[in-house]
Amino acid sequence: MSGHGRARRWAVVTALVAVLLSLPAVVGALPADDADVPAAELRDAVLASAGVAFSGYAVSAGGLSLPVSDQLPAVADLLSDRTALRVWWRGPDEHRVDVVGAAGETGVHVDPGGTWTWEFESATARRAAPAALALPAPPDLVPATLGRRLLSEAADAELSRTGARRVAGRDALGLRLVPAAPAASVARVDVWVDAGTGLPLAVEVVADGATVPALDTRFLDLDLTAPPADVVGFTPPPGARVLPGEDPEGLLREAADRELSPVRLPAELAGLARREVAGAPATVGVYGSGVTLLAVAPLPGRLAARLRPSLAAAPGAVSDEVGTRIDAGPLGLVLVEPPRSGAYLLVGTVTADALAEAAAALAGAPS
Amino acid sequence: MIGVELRKTFGRPRTWTTIAVLNALPVLVAVLLRVTDLAPRPGEGPPFLSAVLANGQLYPLAALAIVLPLFLPIAVAVVSGDAVAGEAQAGTLRYLLARPVGRTRLLVAKLVAVLAFVLVTVVVVAAVGWVVGQLLFDAQPVAAGTSVSGTSLTAEELAGRTLLAIGYVAVSMLGVAAFGLFFSTLTDSPLAAALGALAVLVTSSLLLTLDAASPIAPYLPTRYWLAFVDLFRDPVLWRDVVRGLALQGVYVGVLLAAAWANFTTKDVTS
Repeated sequence: MSGHGRARRWAVVTALVAVLLSLPAVVGALPADDADVPAAELRDAVLASAGVAFSGYAVSAGGLSLPVSDQLPAVADLLSDRTALRVWWRGPDEHRVDVVGAAGETGVHVDPGGTWTWEFESATARRAAPAALALPAPPDLVPATLGRRLLSEAADAELSRTGARRVAGRDALGLRLVPAAPAASVARVDVWVDAGTGLPLAVEVVADGATVPALDTRFLDLDLTAPPADVVGFTPPPGARVLPGEDPEGLLREAADRELSPVRLPAELAGLARREVAGAPATVGVYGSGVTLLAVAPLPGRLAARLRPSLAAAPGAVSDEVGTRIDAGPLGLVLVEPPRSGAYLLVGTVTADALAEAAAALAGAPS
Repeated sequence: MIGVELRKTFGRPRTWTTIAVLNALPVLVAVLLRVTDLAPRPGEGPPFLSAVLANGQLYPLAALAIVLPLFLPIAVAVVSGDAVAGEAQAGTLRYLLARPVGRTRLLVAKLVAVLAFVLVTVVVVAAVGWVVGQLLFDAQPVAAGTSVSGTSLTAEELAGRTLLAIGYVAVSMLGVAAFGLFFSTLTDSPLAAALGALAVLVTSSLLLTLDAASPIAPYLPTRYWLAFVDLFRDPVLWRDVVRGLALQGVYVGVLLAAAWANFTTKDVTS
């Protein structure tokens, strides 16, 4: 008697499971509306989007393993890990970005007078003044911020449109940047831009010769209402330790002034022109533009001697006549120690060949 | 029928022994913390444990976080695995079904009894944690707490969020209970049913640590267990909490349907 009933009951259960399993695929397959917006116009909309207020939840996945996990663990984690970000944005100088961890969080609260950084696990709040130069911080990984930064110097000829897709439940228009500089190690940057506001909703950076993005950051939730000011602001809670922030500019100055004979850096390296960077010490040279950049810093002998073994120990490190070199996705890093002059550290989003060319030019240059 | 099952569950000494053993671990951890004054380094150990030395009011949460990954699911798996298979093994299932009640109703009554056990266990762990926290650690004199985001919480807010967290942890155990109950209808051995539920948990926890499994991670039963921490962010991050509740609901619904499909027509021979 029960044979039919049993089969029918299991059929009901199987159908239920099938419906539930297919739901994510159905939601994911919802088509996105494309709009006929030229690439250059879309870039201009992105660059004008800094004032768009929103709150959201973003996830960033980085594949850049930098050999700085001892010296700068926060930076190394940020660029090599999966990071969940909560963002409340009222404007470029008033926003809050929380890095959400399983057992705590780190909140960065930016206001016109500076930045509060709250760390739950150590109950510490740090206050830093606005600075022209800073170490990579969680707000830099927010898709909107990163998209604007990467597109800020993109030429019209480097840009193209790549259809549309749904990001955070919104229609996002694809904008592809392929850097024109022959030295570029970034194969392409894909930015998915909100059709209504110009906010970048997702950013993928793909290195030359790679199939998976070296950096992938996207919104999962986005709400385009302005968050209340008291959510964005910060007052240290009772019982918290309040400390001054770290001072990257001071560190830079110290590093630049230390026991260095004056060096003259060339006006061009590996085909990239030297550029001025506000706040950078005069001894550090920055070359290139857009997403193809190369920084050159002369190093004191002791520092170079300390850096060499830690570079050589990094996975994939190459030591040859040029120097000690590592590649972390699109980011290349080489320590050059010419026999008769001081050492240089070269870091940039340039190919291994361009790094070697720049290193050779520096080694041969009179200093 | 539900009353009968509830009385059966809570009339057994072993139910209370299980709850007592569950409480032993957080109490031991609290005593060790008190004696040595060595809180785990920030970012290590269970959530909230590094903060309890400064604020004893957080100990109920730390106690839940201590038992959540292993002890609590083991207890739930054992009790739920016993639900039907235990009767079969003891030879009482026949007599139970001889009564003029539907098998579906028996299944629902068993599930309600397991849910009651989960709720009582979680509340007892939190209550013992509260007492231990008050006795062994300094309660914050201002009777306020600090949220994970660094904002101040009033005592009422802290209490309210703690209650929500207790409820969330209880709901998180429903998936385990449903697996245990389903396996319990498949086998006559309570041990096999409990081990089956535990195998699902171990698989889920292991897959969560694997990058290659990230596409299926959102559907794993243990994925959102730690989301109770999100209730202590400011503003509350509801995203994972809501997903966790929905996921447990789906597991309970599907497994209960499977248990029903299997059990209502099963030949009961023992």
